[in-house]
Amino acid sequence: MEESNEFSYPGLYEVIFMKTEKFINTVLNWGRSNSLWPLTFATSCCGIEMMTFGATKIDSDRFGVLFTGDSPRQSDLILVSGTITKKMARRLLNVYEQMPDPKYVIAIGACNVSGGLYHDSYNTIEGIDRIIPVDVFVPGCPPKPEEFLDAVKVLQKLIKENRSKAQKNGNIGQA
Amino acid sequence: MVILDKLKSTIKGDLEVIDSEPDLLVIKIKNKKLIKKLAWQIKEEFDILYSLAVVDYSPDFELNYIFSNYKNAEILILKVNITEKDFAIDSITDIFNSANWEEREAYDLFGIKFNGHPDLRRILLPEDWPGHPLRKDFKVDDEIRNWTGLDLKF
Repeated sequence: MEESNEFSYPGLYEVIFMKTEKFINTVLNWGRSNSLWPLTFATSCCGIEMMTFGATKIDSDRFGVLFTGDSPRQSDLILVSGTITKKMARRLLNVYEQMPDPKYVIAIGACNVSGGLYHDSYNTIEGIDRIIPVDVFVPGCPPKPEEFLDAVKVLQKLIKENRSKAQKNGNIGQA
Repeated sequence: MVILDKLKSTIKGDLEVIDSEPDLLVIKIKNKKLIKKLAWQIKEEFDILYSLAVVDYSPDFELNYIFSNYKNAEILILKVNITEKDFAIDSITDIFNSANWEEREAYDLFGIKFNGHPDLRRILLPEDWPGHPLRKDFKVDDEIRNWTGLDLKF
């Protein structure tokens, strides 16, 4: 059989398959982005702001971020808010590994971005992207609850456009 | 305070009074082996050990035992010097129970060994942490900076 460099149009079934796959992916991403169940991982003052984020004034429920009981097995978003010390790093990874795919990470506060106040200290992880892949960073010490909302909106946009870290790395789990 | 005469009679002149006020007494002993004997004497008047503070005057380290009592709300501060060559002291955990965690903290951050302590482990930092961070000669180098502890097998 000769090899040809000529461009050939995809057949009818291939087109149908591609269109269907794209459609299914769009629907899945729409569903995933609008029902982000968070796992709250609050270790210090950013956790106080996170409570306001879930309470009535800011009301994260509007965007599907529902603060149900904290179980890593049933959540797909981890809100890491607060300083992660080196002793805590193992615990964070332990919790993160228990979450099912696809999982998304929002790093909240200056400590999780670069070490913040404790930069160049002996017992602080300088940015949690050293240990787990982070989708959205929220700077501030601590950030306002509105910024949490903004981070969630950004993450939803990333998921809809197939640009989140989990989708890039191929860890999307079983549909 | 009444206890001063008692303590002086116990250890016979090896005791230096730094400050003496109606409800505050600061004393210093030179021989660190007397700490256990002295703690038994102190236990009669003072029933709690508030805190154990360590100060780094390299090469000497000064331990401050802060005692208090519920009855008169007096405070007694007992200072003991230890040197870096012989970096150990007797534990007083069997006399004051609160000394347990205070001594573990001093061991964690300064590396002081407490002889006779029931459970001398690190209390704040991870178990396999290199070094003792509150000492003056501790430097934050690249080994410390990049240490995440995640190479440990669960």
